[in-house]
Amino acid sequence: MRVVIVEDQVLLRAGLERLFADGGHEVVAAQGDASHLLATVTGHRPDLVVLDIRMPPTFTDEGARAAKAVKEAHPDVGVLVLSQHVETSHIVDLVRLGGFGYLLKDRVLEVQEFLAAADRVARGGSALDPEVVGRLIAPPGVNGPLAELSEREREILKLMAEGLTNSGIAKRLFVSERTVEAHVRHLLSKLDIPQSEDGHRRVLAVLAHLSAARDQR
Amino acid sequence: MRESVRPAVALTSGLTVAVAAAATVFLVLGPGRALPEDLFGGISGAAWLMLALAYATVGALIVSRLPGHGIGWLFTGLGLLLALNGLSYSYASWGLYAQGGEVPGLTAAVLGWGQANAPLMGLSLLLFPDGRLPSRRWIPVAVMSAVAILGFVVVAVLRPGPFDVPFDRVSNPLGVPGMRDVMNALNGACWVLTYVALGLGVRALALRLRGARGEERQRLKWVLTVSTVVGAVTVVLMGSWFIWPENVQWRMAVMGGTFIAFPLATGIAILRHRLYDIDVVINRALVYGALTLLLGAAYAGIAWLLGVALGGGSAPATAAATLAVAIAFRPLRARLQDAVDRRFNRARYDALHRVTAFLEDVRAGATAPEAVEQLLRDVLGDARLELRFLLPEGGGYVDVRGGPAVDARGDARERTPIERAGTQLGMVLHDPAAQERPDLLRRVVETAGLAIEIARLRTELRRQLDEVAASRARIVAAGDAERRRIERNLHDGAQQRLVSIGLALRHAQHELGPEAAARQTLEGALAEIGDAIGELRELARGLRPPQLDAGLAPALQELASRTAVPVAVDATAERFPDGVETAAYFIACEALTNATKHAHASCVSLSAQRRNGSLVICVADDGVGGAAPGDGTGLSGLRDRVGAHGGTLRIESERGAGTRLIAELPCGS
Repeated sequence: MRVVIVEDQVLLRAGLERLFADGGHEVVAAQGDASHLLATVTGHRPDLVVLDIRMPPTFTDEGARAAKAVKEAHPDVGVLVLSQHVETSHIVDLVRLGGFGYLLKDRVLEVQEFLAAADRVARGGSALDPEVVGRLIAPPGVNGPLAELSEREREILKLMAEGLTNSGIAKRLFVSERTVEAHVRHLLSKLDIPQSEDGHRRVLAVLAHLSAARDQR
Repeated sequence: MRESVRPAVALTSGLTVAVAAAATVFLVLGPGRALPEDLFGGISGAAWLMLALAYATVGALIVSRLPGHGIGWLFTGLGLLLALNGLSYSYASWGLYAQGGEVPGLTAAVLGWGQANAPLMGLSLLLFPDGRLPSRRWIPVAVMSAVAILGFVVVAVLRPGPFDVPFDRVSNPLGVPGMRDVMNALNGACWVLTYVALGLGVRALALRLRGARGEERQRLKWVLTVSTVVGAVTVVLMGSWFIWPENVQWRMAVMGGTFIAFPLATGIAILRHRLYDIDVVINRALVYGALTLLLGAAYAGIAWLLGVALGGGSAPATAAATLAVAIAFRPLRARLQDAVDRRFNRARYDALHRVTAFLEDVRAGATAPEAVEQLLRDVLGDARLELRFLLPEGGGYVDVRGGPAVDARGDARERTPIERAGTQLGMVLHDPAAQERPDLLRRVVETAGLAIEIARLRTELRRQLDEVAASRARIVAAGDAERRRIERNLHDGAQQRLVSIGLALRHAQHELGPEAAARQTLEGALAEIGDAIGELRELARGLRPPQLDAGLAPALQELASRTAVPVAVDATAERFPDGVETAAYFIACEALTNATKHAHASCVSLSAQRRNGSLVICVADDGVGGAAPGDGTGLSGLRDRVGAHGGTLRIESERGAGTRLIAELPCGS
């Protein structure tokens, strides 16, 4: 896939470029701040934009705003936001757009998973950092619909929320895809979430459920 | 002294002194025997010469300082005239009686002895204090004095027959025959004019007093008081003439001596810049006069009674009387002062009593000492009066509320310093009219001194506390800023660098190919890096949650999501000053930690709302309760944080009834 990288730290930018190159992808542009990003995207028509959330000049949410702008102008281009820390506030909203990912920066060190997530996002799927999902899913022992889930189902729910497909989940958990499918059917019916084969729609449903559950607390 | 007036003054003064000296010589030589109605001989002559010299001296002083002042020249002239009068009288009485009339110029000397000085005194009253008539309407009064002077001269020169006693042996050589009765009538008329002019002069002073303020009022009071006293003495002496015709010389001597008070008072009033308050003089004279009388009577009475009882003039009697007087002195003085104040100075009496009552209230804690400013306004009848405190160590002046004292441009208020035990406490800004009663102002401020000092100390304390609070807030703010800087550095510096290193290692792994033995080593190093990044992230979050950048509400949501028990968050989306948001966050953080760790709560509600200009954080749990600040729950640290923002922290935690922590952080507007 064709990638645009926006990262203000030179070393990290170079590292990311190499990472994608080593993974057999083409980095069409790499820049140090979010200015002219829309022009770059329009010019290069990449499959994926990888963005640092904190960038010059104010180091607050430049990346998030640039991500939104890119998604609005080019809904088909995948946007993967990297952050130094978890920020749940606006992220869930962005995930709803599809073709959007939000990962902690150090996830890049798990190269295979990171590239898989990047690939998912580039193809219109989602990638949500496990840390974020962890915040959304209440800890065990708390009453509510999630309490009825088994340990395994809870684990699968988390991976679903992260944006993984059934086959991705199966690979991660070293089980067969059929087993995963069975678990998914079970837990979706327990949570009253309509069945859906579309990976992204399924993620949205799960997220919506989780957010609602969290807000009720 | 102006050059132009110096010779004239020197000449007149010299002449006066010379004339007075000559008069003294003839006065000492004397007539050689007792004379009937020897009004200005002997001791009386001496007194009147003293009066002449007093007028001359005061006149010369006034002329030299204020050359244009009418009274200066009037007094100078009057001095010379009185001296000449004295010389005429003493020379004539010496020549006529001691020398049997065989001296040159005897007739001229007798002729020169006139009464022209009396109307001049009336004129000086009219001209006081500025040397000009009060208005054009007063010209006739001045004319009356002038006519009287002229009349006296005419009578002295043209009256035929013998002169007045004691010079009745001599006949007037210039007298117009047959005019003696007319001239006597004219003489009487001149006296009438003189007295009317004197009375009107006093009236002029009284009228001036009514319209006068400040310094001028003091001057007028001085002269009016002295004139009244001198006038009263004159009336008494004159009156006594009819009852007791002997010893006229002594009476005239007393009169002349008393008159000296008049030029002296006038001179002081004109020349001295700030007059000692006349009210104080009167007041003290009354108090100490009565005190002397009463104590003297008491002493005499006790000494006499004991002397009778113990037998004649014994030392114990004297000692006992002295002791009794000594003991009675202070209380009696206070009583008399009180009585005199009450009778003669009601305003001051009331004012001082109100101040004393106020001090009692302050002592009893019923009134704040700062109310002393309002008290001074009420008591002195000056609504614009203001107190200023002088802070120690060059702190400058502040108002009663501790704010910096600002002087409005063109502020015409008088500034009177307040001192107590040698230290300047501050000053009173008051209407310049209060200078009319400087004694009242001084006494009131003096009496209220304790309250003023307490108010000043309290103001100083308040300012210092404010300063401490401000510095505490600054320290907390600086700490927060530092935390934020470190958090940024950790996230954007160290953490990113570790990620870069990790990426480099990943690349190295890739380059090495799948078979290299070093892959495992690199894998281990990468795992370490991942852990280090996680630890750094936790560390940074503890310093200052980055979510606060997005606002308090998102930060609290995030905090709630990391808490092990369900937390219902109800936080306003409003933004607050950075320090307030940070404080609120850490309060919530600590409270949630306590709720889970110590209170074993199963659910917590967290609210952050604006209420009455404050951000109110309320954290309530359903745990075991019984929490108290200072029991190692980090609550005392919270209290410091809240205190630094000038807020309050309240904990309601009854055992078994859960814990409620309510923090109010003032956030302006």
